[in-house]
Amino acid sequence: MKPILIIAEVMDGSIRPVTWELIAAARVIKELMKNNVGGKKDSLKIQVIVPAQNPLPLAKKILSRTGVDVLALQIPEDTAYTSEAYKNWLSPLVRVCDPSHILVAHTSQGRDFAPGLAVRLEAISLAGVNKICSDGDLLLYYRPVLNNTRNMVLGLESDLLVVLTLMPGIFFPRVSKVKSCGSITFKKICRWSGQPVRMVHQKILKQENNHQILKTAPIIVAAGRGIGERSNLEYVFRFAKCFLASAVAASRPLVDMGWIGYDHQVGITGASVAPRLYIACGISGSSQHLAGMKESDWVVSINKNFQAPICSNADLCIVADVLPFILAFLERE
Amino acid sequence: MKILVCIKQGLDDGKMSRFDEFALEEALALKDKLGKPGSLDVVVDVITAGPVHAVAVLKRAFGMGADRGIHIITRDIGYMPAFVTASNLAVVAGRQDYDLILTGIMSQDMMEGQTGPMLAEFLGMPCATAVVKSKMGTVPGIVRVEREMENGYKDCLDVHLPAVLTIQAGINIPRYPSLSKMLVAAKKSITTLVEEDLFSNPVSPKEFLVAIEYPDQTRAGQRLDGSLDDQVRQFQSFLQEKGLV
Repeated sequence: MKPILIIAEVMDGSIRPVTWELIAAARVIKELMKNNVGGKKDSLKIQVIVPAQNPLPLAKKILSRTGVDVLALQIPEDTAYTSEAYKNWLSPLVRVCDPSHILVAHTSQGRDFAPGLAVRLEAISLAGVNKICSDGDLLLYYRPVLNNTRNMVLGLESDLLVVLTLMPGIFFPRVSKVKSCGSITFKKICRWSGQPVRMVHQKILKQENNHQILKTAPIIVAAGRGIGERSNLEYVFRFAKCFLASAVAASRPLVDMGWIGYDHQVGITGASVAPRLYIACGISGSSQHLAGMKESDWVVSINKNFQAPICSNADLCIVADVLPFILAFLERE
Repeated sequence: MKILVCIKQGLDDGKMSRFDEFALEEALALKDKLGKPGSLDVVVDVITAGPVHAVAVLKRAFGMGADRGIHIITRDIGYMPAFVTASNLAVVAGRQDYDLILTGIMSQDMMEGQTGPMLAEFLGMPCATAVVKSKMGTVPGIVRVEREMENGYKDCLDVHLPAVLTIQAGINIPRYPSLSKMLVAAKKSITTLVEEDLFSNPVSPKEFLVAIEYPDQTRAGQRLDGSLDDQVRQFQSFLQEKGLV
């Protein structure tokens, strides 16, 4: 049986937690493929490649925590992630390993190199997979489309290699005793690989922010494009004032348009929050926004469109135009 | 300097995908900055692969200031993944010497974010995705970019031209089409190609569409209709029940 290959996500020399989710997803696939290999699922190997300047401690961590085989891939000193480098480093290794699946995180890094890697390997590439199940022998892959209002279910026509980027926060690692005992292989990448270097990493910048206010507020009132105009933000602030210890947040488009500062942005590229109550005003609920507020205790959505994805992720959906609702609320207060 | 911007018409609303507007604006701003007015020393071409009516997005792009348009008329195969689109675009883009190819970080309808990096690989060009800042001219032959990462981090890198960049929302404020440009646009000719003519065997997807479903609910999603007064009252009792006030 061909193995399932995972590319661990490494940043600043440490393993990013999404890597554990990739291993969990590989176990889901392994379980589903059990039937195809006549119940002998132990013949199906999972292997993790961990590229880093000092990969051995990371490989040991992965092995002790999950028990799967790990390839510790030492990358040259003074090099860092670029899509070009990853494609050059990984494609020869993948060819040797000859896997059935390559699992990559659907993160800024994974989205950057996985599609090109797939083309180079003549593989199928599915982006942002959020569910995997099977229908008989056929594995089915779900991925979001149409602003997250629908999932597209896809099957594969052949036994071709498939590269999957997996949506973070979906596949949860099981906490169980490590049974199988994998091993660590070490490999070193030589600096000169024959290809010209056309992408040179310079530095990592950290955007200054003051997300602490959002992270500690027990109640968050968040505004999205549904508020219509910039001047309507005033009513969102007045609405928020009706709640004790509340803070005003915003979805990304409002920050992009310069209506409100980055300190207020909730989502993957902004703050991740977990208040007692999250009131989403005119927010449709992109996956990047949902990922930043899904830990809230209670979610209320005010949105005229009940089909918006926020409504499948809210406890209470007030189907109304945001502004008239807020005005009616302020009047009664 | 020749710039190509790959744009897409949304399946849902028929408009140019929002992210592609940012890509086009980035190209036009570069033309404004580096090109002499009225000259063609910086050319911005726009290309789309889609059905006949997708020509509408090229016209809008002309209205914003694009110089030339290319339309690859695709077969109606229903499911058209990025792999097929990127294959089509690569054949046409590969015939010209583009210095820079830009596209949106993803389309709003399919949300794959794969067309740019796949196109780059087909053309043998480097590719940076989720670009939130781009700067040219400091070092010849290099575009300096910032890529957006999670939690407010940005990755800064130098990319050698020719290159493909996929553009993230918020990098600029896309201009509106101007009336005078729209009038000129009406007269501009569009190079039309037919997908079947690009290949002896058109590229087909290796995956197939099984179904389109609603995503799973993660919460109850209790629906509250009625008059505003009713809604406000029920919202307030929800807050009281849950001990939130």
